[in-house]
Amino acid sequence: MINMKVDIGGIKLKNPVVTASGTFGFGREYAEFYDLSKLGGIVVKGLTLEPREGNKPPRIAETPAGILNSVGLQNPGVDCFIKEELPFLRRYDVAIIANIAGNTVEDYCRMAERLGSHADGIELNISCPNVKEGGISFGTKSDSVHNITRRVKEYCEVPLIVKLSPNVTDIVEIAGAAEEGGADAISLINTMLGMSIDINTRKPVLANMVGGLSGPAVKPVAVRMVWQVAGSVNIPIIGMGGISCWQDAVEFILAGADAVAIGTANFTNPYAPLEILEGLKKYLIENKFIGINELKGRIEY
Amino acid sequence: MVGVEKTMQHVGKVLQNIGICENVYEILIECPKIAEESKPGQFLHIKVNKGIDPLLRRPISISRINRDEGSISLIYQVIGKGTKEMTGFRQGDDIDIIGPLGNGFSIFTGSKCAVVGGGIGIAPLLELASCISDCDAYLGFKCSTFKLGEYKAACRELHIATEDGSVGSMGYVTDLIKNINRYDIIYTCGPKPMMKKVKELCEKSSVKCFVSLEERMGCGVGACLVCACRIKEGDTWHYKKVCADGPVFEAGEVDFDD
Repeated sequence: MINMKVDIGGIKLKNPVVTASGTFGFGREYAEFYDLSKLGGIVVKGLTLEPREGNKPPRIAETPAGILNSVGLQNPGVDCFIKEELPFLRRYDVAIIANIAGNTVEDYCRMAERLGSHADGIELNISCPNVKEGGISFGTKSDSVHNITRRVKEYCEVPLIVKLSPNVTDIVEIAGAAEEGGADAISLINTMLGMSIDINTRKPVLANMVGGLSGPAVKPVAVRMVWQVAGSVNIPIIGMGGISCWQDAVEFILAGADAVAIGTANFTNPYAPLEILEGLKKYLIENKFIGINELKGRIEY
Repeated sequence: MVGVEKTMQHVGKVLQNIGICENVYEILIECPKIAEESKPGQFLHIKVNKGIDPLLRRPISISRINRDEGSISLIYQVIGKGTKEMTGFRQGDDIDIIGPLGNGFSIFTGSKCAVVGGGIGIAPLLELASCISDCDAYLGFKCSTFKLGEYKAACRELHIATEDGSVGSMGYVTDLIKNINRYDIIYTCGPKPMMKKVKELCEKSSVKCFVSLEERMGCGVGACLVCACRIKEGDTWHYKKVCADGPVFEAGEVDFDD
């Protein structure tokens, strides 16, 4: 029996495959496809203190091996999540991680307070590129990352994961600030800021002009950043960015990730998380590892 | 590779994939499970090739459902990379499908109905028209026409408009609708200005109207929230999902002025 269990800063996952925020809603849609208990964890759609309608459409542009999105945190608000969505998710044996975003540090604190121990973990979204206030503006300077992490941590009853933006000069510095601020774990990468222009209309494809790039196109950047961060922090890492098959997941774990998140791949292949989990197990068996933890950071130089 | 059971993802067999007019193709797919479950107005989410470019599936509305033969037909217009790729499907090819998706049209038996379609919007209305016993069709094309024979067989009256006047009347399809109040229900699909006009005509005469919307999609199942459309609720509005809340909406709730 291969040991697939991982511990992400106190969040116990029965396997290292989680679904990424914003690509999996609140689980309901994919529950039609398979038993959600098969997943290690679900990171829910980004929540805000009040409900949000999000940005004007078009909200998606396809690019080579990737997509740009500018959804803009459309969500029913944290209270509605706790009341209407969480009971459904709790029917499954799967760790639930609440992704939170706000306009101010106080917003984040109040959300962490309201979530209490309803979820198994909180993912601090300081890296959303699609909202005017808050979001990414908290995540690109190390002193502000340190400050928001420290402040929100005071209100957390469950482990706190800080989700990092790749749109920074030095990811190692930012990761260090999150760790010093008291983060229990780090997840990376959020989407990369991008743009697409329709040459026939000469207009930006996205109504929001710019959006976040995800999908296989960003994978090498994500692997590099996970590798850099893994070499510099001592807290667990959830790696993500363009993972669409088990080979991609192995690459992230070799780079130093403890767990992996599957995002855009859900759109094309709803069964991707399960296939990736099966593929990981097979790889471990074939390469004579007894557990997933043994593979972490085992890149050879 | 590995044993993951995929109960919601199907592999169909391409029976035929042919051009039926300029830049418009019809693909006939054998897939008994989908044929059995589908209803008019729903769509299929198609993987156009095995690679990662284009990355996303393409949502294509169902045009015909042949339950006896276990097949479905989709009509698509070649617009971009994905639909161009779709023209490469050959007889005997496997095709990876998620679906049927979306809500589909509500059918009210005993009502006098009409479908009003423009361009590629004519495709999803065909199966609907054939399911309604008393249905007229108003179809608008730019120049070359398609599926007129099947529409003629499915409908009582067939009214055609082309922008260049090559077939039927010259002008817009909305100009052809006289006495709209003789209908109980109108179903429409096509360019937004056309659907907006149909909605206005129906509102003036208090005729029930359903529209089928189109928007760029990601997941197609309601998780990613990219295919937003503005839906009125009382004095306020919300973004709803074209893929999962639609693609069919009551015309009165759709905000075409957004």
